[in-house]
Amino acid sequence: MQAPREKRAEFERQALVHTDALYGAAYRLTRNPRDAEDLVQDALLRAYRFWDSFEQDSNCKAWLLRIVTNTFINEYQRKKRSREVLDAATAEQDTTDGVLVHADASDRQTPERALLDRSVSDDVQRSLDALPDDFRTAVVLCDVQGLSYKEIAEIMQTPVGTVMSRLFRGRKLLAAALREFATTHGYVRDEPVKTTADPKDKTIDLDSYRAQKAREGSQ
Amino acid sequence: MSLCASIDTLSMAYLDDELAAEERRELELHLVDCASCKQHLDAERTDLQLLRTALVPPPAPDTVKARLARALDAEDQRAAIVGRKRWSRLLLPGTAVAAAAAALLVFVGVGMKQPPSQAIATVTHEVVRQQTRPLPLEVQGASTGSWLREHFAPVEPPQFDEPGIQLIGARATAIQGHDAALLRYLVTVGINRVSLTAVLIVDVREDMLNGGEAVRIGNLTLHLADAEGQPVVTYVDDNRIGYVFTSERMTMKELLSIVVTSDLIGRAQQQLR
Repeated sequence: MQAPREKRAEFERQALVHTDALYGAAYRLTRNPRDAEDLVQDALLRAYRFWDSFEQDSNCKAWLLRIVTNTFINEYQRKKRSREVLDAATAEQDTTDGVLVHADASDRQTPERALLDRSVSDDVQRSLDALPDDFRTAVVLCDVQGLSYKEIAEIMQTPVGTVMSRLFRGRKLLAAALREFATTHGYVRDEPVKTTADPKDKTIDLDSYRAQKAREGSQ
Repeated sequence: MSLCASIDTLSMAYLDDELAAEERRELELHLVDCASCKQHLDAERTDLQLLRTALVPPPAPDTVKARLARALDAEDQRAAIVGRKRWSRLLLPGTAVAAAAAALLVFVGVGMKQPPSQAIATVTHEVVRQQTRPLPLEVQGASTGSWLREHFAPVEPPQFDEPGIQLIGARATAIQGHDAALLRYLVTVGINRVSLTAVLIVDVREDMLNGGEAVRIGNLTLHLADAEGQPVVTYVDDNRIGYVFTSERMTMKELLSIVVTSDLIGRAQQQLR
């Protein structure tokens, strides 16, 4: 147990430096700025309460991301669903808020650029909406936060193999959705589709590759 | 074994920097010979870069950090109160209040399940809102009692046994169209100071404040409610004066532990005699 003042200083030094990163993850997980803010606040407050249980010398950012992810899965999804049922108007307001925030942030750029950025950014959020939660979480932890497969596996409590296949499929679905939005809005020319195979039909399995290699090596 | 068969797995792990050094070397050698795998990996690399660029989130707004700092301050104060075992320290052993409050504590632990009635929810919401408004107090310190009798109703401001609870002052307000007085207290625990608000409302209807979870302590019935995450304790006396206690920075348990040491208990017993 640390003295209260030391605890706060230590928490600020080790945990609060990740606030921007945690907000980024929360923003991509919740897909709206207001929920992202609440999620970061709840998760960091929780982390502060359980600071004594954080193992010093382990990866603090991964520990915090685990709390963000768990809080999101346990509470925000449930809350969001009940809110959607109860109050469609609120959901509409969220959408408006999101647009306003984006418009605000892009004000300093040229109008064309701002319009493009805003639309692309909205497309990203919309494409993320279409992903199953598990896929989205894997993509956010890897491609937004840069965590390793092993760290993601620990957070999501699944084997590394599962992380890899979620990540693979999540990325393919996301890339396809983004390409579709871009094409529909004419940002990019409609290029011939490179890959025709459904990502579901592909097997992503590093373990069995390694196992097979080992078998061949011993022969 | 041909690496081509596993190129999806290998290129993904390669681009995520998850291959062992030997696996990486082997793949890189293979790419020199295999145009098809090289093309595959290059395409995957481009897609991944585009994806990661698209996913870069906006930075946290300044409000996030400010809000967070406030929340941590509140948590520090809460922890300080709990850590000093405020609950047990407040109650003098052997008093009727202590016995009743101990029983109460158990009850509170398992209670608090029913949602408050609509009426109490409206009142507590308004009280919580009033409490956070930064309006100046109309009277401060020792003259608060006489101000209250003169401007509000023939009633004394609630006093607490606890020496660390000091009446700061009051201002007039209205709750649901009823005249009300907002009393501000300062609760000092060690170096921490927590604000406590009591709102007194005249001519309350029975159902305005009697909802939510009811707890009896002696012959006093208190009602507990949660208003926007903030604990609220209410009580209506025989003169239809309603008392609403709340604090932004206390848990229900902490708030109750303070309210049960108020002289409302004594007043209720006098009424009984």
